[in-house]
Amino acid sequence: MTLPKSLIAGLVALALVGACGNDRAPNPVLAAVGAAAKTSVSKMKGQKAGTAPATKAASPEELRAELAQAGKPVLLVSSKALGQTGFLMVSDAKGGVLTWATPDGATFTQRDGVLIQTRGLGADLMSAQAPSVSQLMQAGARYQRVYFFLGGDDQGTRRTYDCATSVVGPENIDVLGRAHATIHVTETCARSTGGGKLTNEFWIEGSMIRQSRQWVSAGIGFIDFARVID
Amino acid sequence: MQSSSRLLALLALGTALVSVPALAEMSGTLNLNGATGLIDMPSGEAQKDATFSFSTSLIGQITRSTISFQFSERLSGSFRFQTWRDWDALIPGDSEESDRSIDLRYQVLKEGRITPALTIGLQDLTAQGLFASEYVAATKTFGDKVKVTAGLGWGRLGTDGGIGSPFGSRPPVDPTGTPNADQWFRGEAAPFAGVEYKVNDNWTLKAEYSSDAYVLEDAERGLIERDSPFNFGVEYQRSPYMRFGAYSLYGSEFALAFHIILDPKSRATGGIVGKAPVPVKARPARGADPEAYDGGWVTQPEAGPILRQNLAKRLAADGIAIENLAYTADTVQVRIRNGRIDAGSQAVGRTARALSHVMPASVEVFEIVPVVNGIGASKVTIRRSDLEALEYTADNATLLRERVTVTDAGPAPAWSLGDEELYPKFRWSLRPVVRLSEPMEGDVGLRLSSTYDIAPGWVLSGSIYKELASNRDLSTSSSVLPHVRTDGSRYTEFGDPALERLTLAWFARPGENLYSRVSVGYLERMHAGVSGELLWKPVDSQLALGAELNYTKQRDTDGGLGFDEYDYDIMTGYVSAYYDFGNGYLGQLDVGKYLAGDVGATVSVDRVFANGWRVGAFATVTDASAEEFGEGGFDKGVRITIPFNWALGTDTRRGFDLNFRPSGGDGGARLNVDDRLYQSIREYHTDGLDPDWGRVWR
Repeated sequence: MTLPKSLIAGLVALALVGACGNDRAPNPVLAAVGAAAKTSVSKMKGQKAGTAPATKAASPEELRAELAQAGKPVLLVSSKALGQTGFLMVSDAKGGVLTWATPDGATFTQRDGVLIQTRGLGADLMSAQAPSVSQLMQAGARYQRVYFFLGGDDQGTRRTYDCATSVVGPENIDVLGRAHATIHVTETCARSTGGGKLTNEFWIEGSMIRQSRQWVSAGIGFIDFARVID
Repeated sequence: MQSSSRLLALLALGTALVSVPALAEMSGTLNLNGATGLIDMPSGEAQKDATFSFSTSLIGQITRSTISFQFSERLSGSFRFQTWRDWDALIPGDSEESDRSIDLRYQVLKEGRITPALTIGLQDLTAQGLFASEYVAATKTFGDKVKVTAGLGWGRLGTDGGIGSPFGSRPPVDPTGTPNADQWFRGEAAPFAGVEYKVNDNWTLKAEYSSDAYVLEDAERGLIERDSPFNFGVEYQRSPYMRFGAYSLYGSEFALAFHIILDPKSRATGGIVGKAPVPVKARPARGADPEAYDGGWVTQPEAGPILRQNLAKRLAADGIAIENLAYTADTVQVRIRNGRIDAGSQAVGRTARALSHVMPASVEVFEIVPVVNGIGASKVTIRRSDLEALEYTADNATLLRERVTVTDAGPAPAWSLGDEELYPKFRWSLRPVVRLSEPMEGDVGLRLSSTYDIAPGWVLSGSIYKELASNRDLSTSSSVLPHVRTDGSRYTEFGDPALERLTLAWFARPGENLYSRVSVGYLERMHAGVSGELLWKPVDSQLALGAELNYTKQRDTDGGLGFDEYDYDIMTGYVSAYYDFGNGYLGQLDVGKYLAGDVGATVSVDRVFANGWRVGAFATVTDASAEEFGEGGFDKGVRITIPFNWALGTDTRRGFDLNFRPSGGDGGARLNVDDRLYQSIREYHTDGLDPDWGRVWR
């Protein structure tokens, strides 16, 4: 028993044309194609779609000047795995908790620079029990770190790690054309059960996390953050 | 069985969008029959819990299409559609024979350090028995590359190299095809064996010794030449979602297999995508700004319309409409209609965030009432200070759930502000539809649907279907019962285009924990009349009870308004019990009178995933005898719902529904009326909200 060619052609055509009506359910096929196209374009540009323009020709100093014009804090976020980089602005500030948003609706929330939530990335970090900056700066501090996620079936899951800090030493780093004297700290974490290790890295200037490389989730991996403008 | 959409596109995207292709640890591979096993033989292994697979294989003149589901860690089942071409090669008759079969497998032993995995299987346990066999198979892994399987088969799997009949002789097939339990493990038993070698993560080699003599295909019908009991093959795992196989079978045949393997527990996109929510708006500290907490604003007449307008604007971004808004100085109740977000908890969370932006600071209590078909499904009460305090706290989902109450929706407050623009509201859509009656048989067409909301709870709706292409043949029913279902192909053939439905429905809440529905009109494509339903379901109860009463007349096959062709009307009714066993297993029992006038009961079990996947099976036994029912003996089948958003990650409540029956009959048939109550409201009760409660913060 085989499908007649007309039926196959019909199925393909239907899949492409999608549906119409005022019943506002988006066409998932077209939406996904659009999203995929957008991702690949932004990947080619090496830049998150719609973020502050960063033409290759501009020097870091010029770029910094351009970003500073708004007079607002800017966070540089980049993910090697996703092949994306973007300059983000604050969308919410509550005490030491800052939420940084991309123009296409993803957010990164940090408490004093330590990542505690993401939204809109897919495999999001829903919440986290994370160390404070003073804990990070204290060499040999030991504590538990807990990451909370939603599994593929949307049920809540968690990963618990036993972590220890160690101070690598003073390091001068460059963030978009500006030098910063920082202390490089690593946080080494091992999963309490089931195995798995990860290391987060922080470059702390005074009591502020100037630059960091922090784990988000199994699906996203590590993301680099740098505070460009305070 | 109807389904609103695009399986092919869904599957194509499901495989294309994979971003992190970590190869799943292969707990067991699939065989030509779509079951866990070697090439043509089964093994002692199981698939990973909840694995769902579509398999298609070609073996000479035979095609097997199988859907399999690992229902729990140990129990799995399959539904198979098999076709033999050149069926008339030796014996004159139809050139093609087809058969549907259902398998069940239970893994008695999981593999230990020394013990092998051991599975007992029943293949084709109910139908006419062309594929019937039983087996016990054991599989042991050596290192991480080699697996060895040995087993003993009965029925088809006991036809070559038999060692005698340990449990007595096998009685002939009962032609009516009820579970042929008297045959199981009877007759000649024969050993089979095989070995699997995993070359690397992608490539696997397999070899086996088969105990299936292919008596039907070789000796009786001459379709296949079985020269040798040995089979060899190579398989390629292209991604976690796709596997291909090529085989040399029985020394003479070449076979191909293709499997699509889906894991309902793991989203193809890694998680739900879509924009981040707006942050919760923090109120000023009471000490710093006591005036902000003054409740005097409630007396201002213009406050209500402004608040409602502001809230509606914010909620529109998430596809949520306001049915009603009522407030006092410290409490607000908003009744919402969630049109897009697939998780009830997320719709509640987005509404709470919007309220934090819109409501004056004196409002401390948010009561959110999701409304389905105009009636309140539940009331989720959130304290605003909890929302503010927990937004960025670790494990905020658990902490918030401890502080939130879910109660009966109750009536809308008398002073509430309805949305004048909401009623009446006309909605319409034109969508492509695939209606499958078999895994590869059915028709595709366009469905024009429209809904007119007259007033809260009053819905006028209808749909028209126009077929574009079909590979279903017109068949003549020989059923001795009234043809309440078996003339389906006549309805498809003559009713093109057809008015599928035209109904007026009234939904109401007659009391606490009670829900009611009355539907009048052309209820489905074969029957029209009146259908009434009453459901008792406390919001936090695992048990629900329902009653349904219908009076219907059978419609003409031309899809029009007439009742001339059949002089058939009947009163049907059921009492139902629904029970949530936890961990996503739902059971339902219906007892009553069915469309053909038969009296009996339906048992169904579904496994429901928080993300919307649903796989279940049902069986109906009535006083219609197996002879009256026809080939299948009694009504049974499997039903599957795959949510689009599982594959795409985007906000949509739509999905792809499939229903398969190994054989259709007129016994045990129920009216296909839309919007039955239990399914519609369960999402917003605790058993529907809690599994994916974490999405309240999404």
